Amino acid sequence: MNKGLLATVLSGFVSIPAWGHTPICDCYDNGDSTITCEGGFSDGGSAAGIAMRIVNNAGKVLIQGEMSEFSDYTFAIPENNFRVIYEAGDGHTIEIDSRDIEE
Amino acid sequence: MKNSLKAFQLLPALIISAGLLSNVAQAHFQLLYTPESALNEAQAIDIALVFSHPFHNGYPMSMGTPQEFYVIQDRGEGIPTKTTDLREYLKPVTWKNSDQASADAFVANLPKSVTRSIGDYSFVLVPEPYYEAAEDKYIQQYTRAMINVGGAPGSWDAPIGLPVEIIPLDKPYANWVGGVFRAVVVSNGEPVPNAEIEIEYLNHDPLIDQAIFDPIGKIEAPQGSFTTMSVRANDRGEITIGLPKEGWWGICALDLDNAETFNDKDLSVDAVLWVRAYAP
Repeated sequence: MNKGLLATVLSGFVSIPAWGHTPICDCYDNGDSTITCEGGFSDGGSAAGIAMRIVNNAGKVLIQGEMSEFSDYTFAIPENNFRVIYEAGDGHTIEIDSRDIEE
Repeated sequence: MKNSLKAFQLLPALIISAGLLSNVAQAHFQLLYTPESALNEAQAIDIALVFSHPFHNGYPMSMGTPQEFYVIQDRGEGIPTKTTDLREYLKPVTWKNSDQASADAFVANLPKSVTRSIGDYSFVLVPEPYYEAAEDKYIQQYTRAMINVGGAPGSWDAPIGLPVEIIPLDKPYANWVGGVFRAVVVSNGEPVPNAEIEIEYLNHDPLIDQAIFDPIGKIEAPQGSFTTMSVRANDRGEITIGLPKEGWWGICALDLDNAETFNDKDLSVDAVLWVRAYAP
């Protein structure tokens, strides 16, 4: 079971044509108190600039940023459980629970 | 009576000859085997490097130490590819088939860190040339096997810079049984019209931890012509093969060099690509 790739695909279509394919995101623990998430699309398209949000269980945004030019995003691990949200346009959101992130 | 005796004596010779002829029909294939080509997430993987005949219980032939063994990681658009030398992971093994024929081969136990990222991974092996006594020549097979992690593709349809290549027109790691696989055969970057191609099904799964081939084959050929399938590329160097059975299919483009030699003997420079089919 690939928990890290669990996708929550909402209704509707992607509003940006270049993102008109299945979004993909995976995160891993770097072992140095940081986590790196890598993004992409099923057609090999870049994830550069895609919004990233790290939220707690109440939905409060703890950290936010965007995918780099190399389609990755690294952040310091928050103290408590959190979720990573990869916002690849309307209807294409992936959420990853911190408990599913491994080294 | 004399004639009958001669015929009786001749029979074993004919049987042996038939056996030899059957062996001729087997093609040499450089295996670069790992069980799965489409991984949902990063994991440690084992790879077997065996020079063999994949359809017939893989009668192995001894390999020298590989000249090159590396992986190219490709995460997709705008992201530089990353090449990792894997020779540090090579472990020499004695590989056997069920007839107890044995040969020098290699196994690589790759840690999870090698395939940590999502994307395509092209494993490349450049073996030492193999001396084929029956033909008094050397064979060197530039071999590529691809896997993917997480479903994010890289530039799987691009050349990777080998002198001879089978460049995919379909993803080698994601094919349904019943589909077809297409590719272009190139030598020094140029398509090879009418290239001679051999195709074999990996009929006996390598059991990597035991360094043997599974003695039980998955299919039976109705006749020798079906063990090594022979096809020709078209005038643009393109090939199309069917994938009727789940597992790995080896494609070998033969003798793509320009009369190269090794140790003063002919050197057949071949390109091998492995394609994985999954049952629906």
